[in-house]
Amino acid sequence: MLPAARGTRVELILSLGVLSLGIFASIIAFRLPEAGGYARIGPNFMPKVVSAGLIALGVWLLAEVFTGGWRERVSDDPAERGEHAFHLGAFVWVSSGLFAQMALIGNGGFVIAAMALFACVARGFGSKRWVRDLSISLVLAVAVFLFFVHFLNVNLPAGWLKPLLGTAGI
Amino acid sequence: MSETLNALLTGFGVALAPMNLLWGFVGVTLGTAIGVLPGVGPALTVAMLLPLTVKLDPTGALIMFAGIYYGAMYGGSTTTILLNTPGESASIATALEGNKMAKNGRAGPALATSAIGSFVAGTIATILLTLLAPLVVEVALKFGPTEYFALMVFAFVTVAAVLGASMVRGLTMLFVGVLLGLVGIDDQTGQMRFAFGVPELMDGIDVVVLAVGLFAVGEALYVAAYQSRQPEELEKMSGSLWMSRDDWNRSWPAWLRATAIGFPFGTIPAGGAEIPTFLSYALEKKLTKHPEEFGNGAIEGVAGPEAANNASSAGVLVPLLTLGIPTSATAAILLAAFQNYGIQPGPLLFQTQATLVWGLIASMYIGNILLLILNLPLIGLWVKVLMIPRPLLYAGILIFATLGAYSLHQSVVDLATLYVFGLLGFMMRRWGFPVAPAVIGLILGPLAESQFRRALAISQGDPSVFFKHPISASLLTLTALLILVPWIVKVVKERRRRGAV
Repeated sequence: MLPAARGTRVELILSLGVLSLGIFASIIAFRLPEAGGYARIGPNFMPKVVSAGLIALGVWLLAEVFTGGWRERVSDDPAERGEHAFHLGAFVWVSSGLFAQMALIGNGGFVIAAMALFACVARGFGSKRWVRDLSISLVLAVAVFLFFVHFLNVNLPAGWLKPLLGTAGI
Repeated sequence: MSETLNALLTGFGVALAPMNLLWGFVGVTLGTAIGVLPGVGPALTVAMLLPLTVKLDPTGALIMFAGIYYGAMYGGSTTTILLNTPGESASIATALEGNKMAKNGRAGPALATSAIGSFVAGTIATILLTLLAPLVVEVALKFGPTEYFALMVFAFVTVAAVLGASMVRGLTMLFVGVLLGLVGIDDQTGQMRFAFGVPELMDGIDVVVLAVGLFAVGEALYVAAYQSRQPEELEKMSGSLWMSRDDWNRSWPAWLRATAIGFPFGTIPAGGAEIPTFLSYALEKKLTKHPEEFGNGAIEGVAGPEAANNASSAGVLVPLLTLGIPTSATAAILLAAFQNYGIQPGPLLFQTQATLVWGLIASMYIGNILLLILNLPLIGLWVKVLMIPRPLLYAGILIFATLGAYSLHQSVVDLATLYVFGLLGFMMRRWGFPVAPAVIGLILGPLAESQFRRALAISQGDPSVFFKHPISASLLTLTALLILVPWIVKVVKERRRRGAV
């Protein structure tokens, strides 16, 4: 039997990711103008250093992948980490909440967007009590809205609830 | 000496002004209330509350942040003891014995020794900060851009390479952080870098978006995916809060020893409180007269690490205030709070903004007292916060997390960036990449770049200047040794092992 002489596929992908980030950054860095002034060092110098560093680190990570896998790695067995297996539904619900908020905040306003976010995230964490979650988030979001807009003078969009929340928000 | 005392007295005058006292009180209360939430460490607490203070005057705002910083730590220890979910690496040592004590029905004394220990350590460390800061300022006033650059490189490398499980992954996150710090308009030439024509990116990436994305959104995604279907184990707040005479006798030496360990570790760039808390734990375990209790809830094992944690957090403020160099993720976000007001911490700050700095330092003495008063009687209230069901808790955290990012520009782009950083944070947590180097790289990277260019402008582009100045030469040599020595040791060991076979 061959010894575990290689890292996992994820390690390979992530190492290549770091390497490509470095290459991508270096392409941009080399297109930046030189213009140094007294220092003879322009705005392109630091980007070059950073992208060179990322390329070197990507190579280093790759070298670890091919020589027995990443060192001091986190266990791939959820039970060993004291966790359960990856729960796709939970991940998708939390993500959808954040996307719903992005989609709604412009037109629907802060309160509606926050309610959508809250309900989806709570659902992702296993709550099935829609009514409770929506009512709690309504109270919370209205309180935050009023506190920010009236007390801290930070503008938040009132959106569809503008007739109810008054003219304070945008 | 008397100069320092005078300055401190002026500071107390500032900190005791009714409005500032109020902001300090609001800070410690909010800090405790949010810090007590599981999975929310001091760094995230400060980042989420940063947008709250946009309209305050700088002194009030910074006093509030000092309160939040301390309060979040007090709150965090409650969570650690009762829930065994350390919100940050510095609390892991406390969790070892603290949670065992709670399981044995001794949650009360565990919480009491951590609160009183934090007060004792925090107060002593603040006294040390008061005495040490003016001395560091003396030295730092002689520093030029060359020395600053070397110091920043040193801080980068200790935070990224020496701490954490893997040097290469730590350095990778540091470089990613510095790369993110380059996004936007270059201060010195007006050149646009890595912005891709997106107007929201021209100002650069805000540390609030990065920190909240990595800590809050990443954490929520991770916990949802890997922990949300597990039952929660909350220990009951049982037993009286009062510590017995025996508890006291075992606690106070541990507090003092831990302060002596924690403060110096905080002042050097060694990544904050993680190392000193474990050192203190190991020391108490060695010195105890009750070795059989270690692993089953020994009170020294709570008193020591908790005190070390607080002492080192005060120590972290020494390089932050006197040199403008953050050595932990939380300090990096505090630095961003200063920058929001156009204030750059450093030796000059002690001259140009003396009342602000000393008001801030004085407010820490007051904050520690407020926290002690707030925590012992109100502990029952904080425990109730812990009983919020997880779905509501994380949903609530995300509302505040997104609110902070959105209120920066009222722009959906910031929310999208936040989600991207959330995905990054999820991957980092899953595959073992540290967060702190990325946050520190983002904040410190641009400062290091401008010091570097300034140093070269003075030397007319001669790079040997970094090795001609003795201070920068020795710092850079030390930095190189920190990277090379562990590697050489490893290679030599492997050679020997092969030779033996």
